[in-house]
Amino acid sequence: MKPIKKIIITSVICIGIALLAYFAWLFPFYEFTSNDFTTSIEKIMSAEYIKTLVPLFIIISLATAGIIITVFIRKFLAKKDTSRFSKVRTDRSRGNSPKQKPSIFMVLRWIIMIIFAFMMIWGGLIFGLKMASLSIPVLSCPWNTEQMTESSCYYLSHLNELVELPWQNILLFLGSTIGFTLLLGRAICGFLCPMGLIQDITDKIRQKTKIEGIKMNDKMYEAIAPVKWCMVLIFVGLCFAGGNFCNFCPAVAVSPILAGMSTSLYVSGFLMVLVLMGGFFKRRAFCTICPLGTIMGFFHKISLFRVKKDCQSCTECGACYEACPMGIKMIYTEREKADVTHANCIMCGECVKCCPEDNALSLTFAGKKIYTSSRRKIMSGYEQEGKK
Amino acid sequence: MSSTLKERQDKRFITKETQTAAKYLRRLEELSGAPEGIEPFYDTLKRIYVDMAHVDTNKKTVGTYCVMTPPELIYAADAMPVKLCSGNYTAFSIGDDIAPRDACPLVKAVAGFKQTGLMPVYEDCSMMVVPITCDCKKKIAGMLADRCEVTTLHIPASREDKDIEMFINQLYELMEKLEDVTGNRITYESLSEGFRKVGYAQYELSEFIRLKKQMPYLIRGSHAMAILNSASYMPADVWGKALHKVNQSLEKNISDKKTVTSKKLPRIMLTGSPIVFPNIKIPLLIEEMGGIVAGDETCMGERGMWDPAVITDDSFDGMIRALANRALRPCPCPTFADNSQRIYRLKQLIKENQIQGVIYHVLRGCLVYDFEYKRIEEELGKLDIPVIRLESDYNEEDIEQLRIRIEAFIELIKLKQPHEKITSVRKDF
Repeated sequence: MKPIKKIIITSVICIGIALLAYFAWLFPFYEFTSNDFTTSIEKIMSAEYIKTLVPLFIIISLATAGIIITVFIRKFLAKKDTSRFSKVRTDRSRGNSPKQKPSIFMVLRWIIMIIFAFMMIWGGLIFGLKMASLSIPVLSCPWNTEQMTESSCYYLSHLNELVELPWQNILLFLGSTIGFTLLLGRAICGFLCPMGLIQDITDKIRQKTKIEGIKMNDKMYEAIAPVKWCMVLIFVGLCFAGGNFCNFCPAVAVSPILAGMSTSLYVSGFLMVLVLMGGFFKRRAFCTICPLGTIMGFFHKISLFRVKKDCQSCTECGACYEACPMGIKMIYTEREKADVTHANCIMCGECVKCCPEDNALSLTFAGKKIYTSSRRKIMSGYEQEGKK
Repeated sequence: MSSTLKERQDKRFITKETQTAAKYLRRLEELSGAPEGIEPFYDTLKRIYVDMAHVDTNKKTVGTYCVMTPPELIYAADAMPVKLCSGNYTAFSIGDDIAPRDACPLVKAVAGFKQTGLMPVYEDCSMMVVPITCDCKKKIAGMLADRCEVTTLHIPASREDKDIEMFINQLYELMEKLEDVTGNRITYESLSEGFRKVGYAQYELSEFIRLKKQMPYLIRGSHAMAILNSASYMPADVWGKALHKVNQSLEKNISDKKTVTSKKLPRIMLTGSPIVFPNIKIPLLIEEMGGIVAGDETCMGERGMWDPAVITDDSFDGMIRALANRALRPCPCPTFADNSQRIYRLKQLIKENQIQGVIYHVLRGCLVYDFEYKRIEEELGKLDIPVIRLESDYNEEDIEQLRIRIEAFIELIKLKQPHEKITSVRKDF
């Protein structure tokens, strides 16, 4: 594509997103007659809960329909394709591909993600709001007033409201947000974010059903970068222009509804359908354009979670790059620096899991190795073959 | 008494070929310190080169060249891959008249086998897969095409995303041809089975190399080379099981502190052009002259099967992508324009295997390897590791000259090293 054409297309998309975000309230996805933000355990137990869940059902069924339609379109196109394997690729596959044994790190990551998501939805209802004054920079909707801790996304996207708060609150907000960012960095995305969990689940479903995903290459990641920056601008700047990011944010469509709050959805609902579909075909698709994650990425040079590389052990096999949901190429091309923490890295540990060289990649926390690559681990699935 | 010229020529070829192979096999067997369980590998080499028998399988065989051909695909089509890169002196002397003077001996030997039509390993092949890694391979692919079906794989000059995508498409085309030739369908299940077979062999190989690194002088490089060379003519699972026995005996040797020698021999690494049985004169000379081949970075040796295909996506396409990725990205073949990763690999092997000197093997006419010599000599010079370049051909005329140079090189290393014994188990692995 010509560079000028590229610039025009990118700016049209960005302006489109900006306009959509600004006029988000004009596009209702599902409107309740009145939003009711009170909730209790009794309400969740009652039939009324089903009524608040209606938009969620609609989102899930729309996303499922979208995925099924996409798969069928693919099948239809494959019929016209002359290449023989188009049929094998789109048919339902049977059998199991060889897999390595699950590592403790990965199991822990899933457990932490699930527990945290649970706490961010129902935590306040069950355990009270003792930690509610702390803010974690995570995309879990603050409209859900019953979440365990506050999430920083509300005041970060409504900076004009932040300055009107009493100074103690401002300090507490800034202190805890910056503190968590420095302490955990984008490990928050990989370990805590409920939006991340949702996308990891959709990806797991795809892997289980063995449906072919969309593999993004370096050109596509490059093309999507301006959209990411546009999202950051919208996220921070929309409040000054008089808009409300919450009408646009897909995270609104999950947590308050599950907590039993009837929440009207605007563009968020449509976006959530896209997030689910995108997350199905490309792992963590939304994370590649997530504005909050990008802002956290600014601090990647000082956070305590780090990805370390022993450049001598690396064979540049690129398995880490293939596995990376964020498409970080530098992790396998780097041959000098021992620290390969990238602004986009969400510390999901997928690269370490797929690295076949002993000690070549490791995840460290405050200088201590918590997950290290090993040839034995990667070949662990093949060990039994000899005993057959 | 009316045997034709052709018959007499064939007879002479067979006698000479079997004699050379038997001689080198005998020299291998005479070399002290072979691990227990190495016999199946000797038997395989004997079966192919001395008995001139068929590969031990009832499946169709597919000939492959170079490390870029994914064996997983061939197993998935329920056939058996046989690596046909040749090191045969007798075939070379015939190929010398067919191929141009400056072509490399490996390709000349292949051309010679094709000309005589006597080698069952070559004649049995239902199909051959030739990755185009150099000009000689490109032309030999054309020559082989009138014997059986030949598929070429274009190897790009770089390893960017677009190159991988192009290679994936080539693999799909290769799979179609494999299906046509073998008559079997490649399905998700059969592909997974292919992965399991090769994966198991690679698992045992990585265990083997891990053991080798743990204690110096545990096994001789020539023996390791024979084991790895015979992988070309054995089904991956059979080879893996045989290697498992060797690993067990090596493990026992470690706990018994039993090494091939109690002396401290100069530890030498061999890199450069492929070393294929029976052209194992250089490792044999090194070890007969009192050195030990502790490191091996040649494509018919440790490097060839080292890198596993890592599946990051469970779909059918994801597995093919893993194969394409494995074939190109980690491959330190000099056919790629930028191959600086080979230097890192060499440095890593030097560190892990406590290498004291590097012998850079160049087959006459193997330009891509020869090109990289200068850079590697410079880089290793910075580490104070002596390097020599040995150019050789597929004949025994240069053996005395090689002997003198290797002997001098080994003496040079001996002068540099302090006198002490190192036979203790290393703990840093």
